[in-house]
Amino acid sequence: MNRIYTTIIIWIPILIILQALVFNHICLFGYAVPFVFIYALLRLPLNMTKERAFTIGFLTGLALDIFSDTLGLNALCCTILMALRRPVARLYLPRDEELLEIAPGIKTYGLATFAKYTLTTTLIFCTLTFLIESLDSLVIYIMCFKILASTLLTFALILGLDSLTIGKSEKRL
Amino acid sequence: MRNLLLFFFRCRPWLLLAAYIIISCVLLFSSNPYQQSVYLTSANSVSSTLYSGATKVKSYFNLFEVNEDLLRRNNLLEKKVLELEARIQLYQEKEIALELPADSSLSRFDFIVAHVINNSINRAHNFITINKGSADGIQPEMGVVDQNGIVGKVNVVGEHSSRIISLLNSDLRISSKVKGSDQVGSLVWDGDDSRFALLEELPRHSTFNVGDTVITSGYSTTFPEGIPVGVVDSELKDYDENFYTLRIRLFTDFSKLSIVRIVIDNMADELSIVEQDTQE
Repeated sequence: MNRIYTTIIIWIPILIILQALVFNHICLFGYAVPFVFIYALLRLPLNMTKERAFTIGFLTGLALDIFSDTLGLNALCCTILMALRRPVARLYLPRDEELLEIAPGIKTYGLATFAKYTLTTTLIFCTLTFLIESLDSLVIYIMCFKILASTLLTFALILGLDSLTIGKSEKRL
Repeated sequence: MRNLLLFFFRCRPWLLLAAYIIISCVLLFSSNPYQQSVYLTSANSVSSTLYSGATKVKSYFNLFEVNEDLLRRNNLLEKKVLELEARIQLYQEKEIALELPADSSLSRFDFIVAHVINNSINRAHNFITINKGSADGIQPEMGVVDQNGIVGKVNVVGEHSSRIISLLNSDLRISSKVKGSDQVGSLVWDGDDSRFALLEELPRHSTFNVGDTVITSGYSTTFPEGIPVGVVDSELKDYDENFYTLRIRLFTDFSKLSIVRIVIDNMADELSIVEQDTQE
């Protein structure tokens, strides 16, 4: 339980500020934008109550929206991400309730499972973000490029961040 | 009734999800740039304080490029000053200067210098936040330029910060023309590359060459005539038959914006009254 609050109190504000000040201004080759802040949401244990998960997702997205002038965009994407996170993880995890209690990460789920979970959720988030943001103005192939490039960049950064930050005491799969 | 309440109680996570999605959608679709509240944008005091601190650090990294741009611009202006001085001398020699009528339009425009504290280039609708607001005389709809060319238009004004609709925002259209011709088109960003924009609706009989300079037309109170925008990069074929669409390489480097000038039109109020009378 303590770990959940550590994630919420420390990780979410830090990653929102980093996203607003640093990552939102990175646009690799004009296409890839890293959405690293979703790492804080992906790290939350999967057995958290749905109400709490949706609320955290919504508030995190809204906080980032206020800093980035994209009112409603991240709030919507984060809420949907939190709703789809558990079904996605279920696809790759064995049927074991105990696994849902621990925070997802490379050291707890193993590299392959965590990578699949992160890649799928990141792809969902990037698709939603670019689809909603540019309904009226972007050409479809540019949008697909942006989704793919941003997904890969975000995925790589999240894996890097996860391998750097996880404590040694965490439970292994 | 009890069953209905029980049903709602059982479904409360999904009802909550639906409520959050609806709130997000309402925020998303009501966040039209022209109506958005100042308290929910990056021009609000909490965000702008944060961005001001971060920008103070970041602005040092861009100083080299800004200096180079300023030197280049300075060279151009110096050249212009020399040309003008030569012309004045010529007039004086011919004793015509005294007979020239005073031009009141020379003092029409004024500038306020501001620092960019937040800027985005990678979205479909980009905005810029600056550290000057209504206390410094900034009002919505004023034009914004930097040392190279046009930047955008003031949208939301807070007391000490303002939000600007960047030229890299497909909602913004700016009346522009190719230097040396009088046919006016509409400059708009296509959402792709931050170095290029499109000059649309340029009449078919206009003449231009690749490499020609594009400037503002001056057909509004936002920008004076002749502010550089970019150069013609190429002509796009598959558009409307009656109009040209040109791809313009912009002079302004939006990834390195740090100091901008806000254009104040001293005749804006007068012109709006005159135009209102005409509409009536």
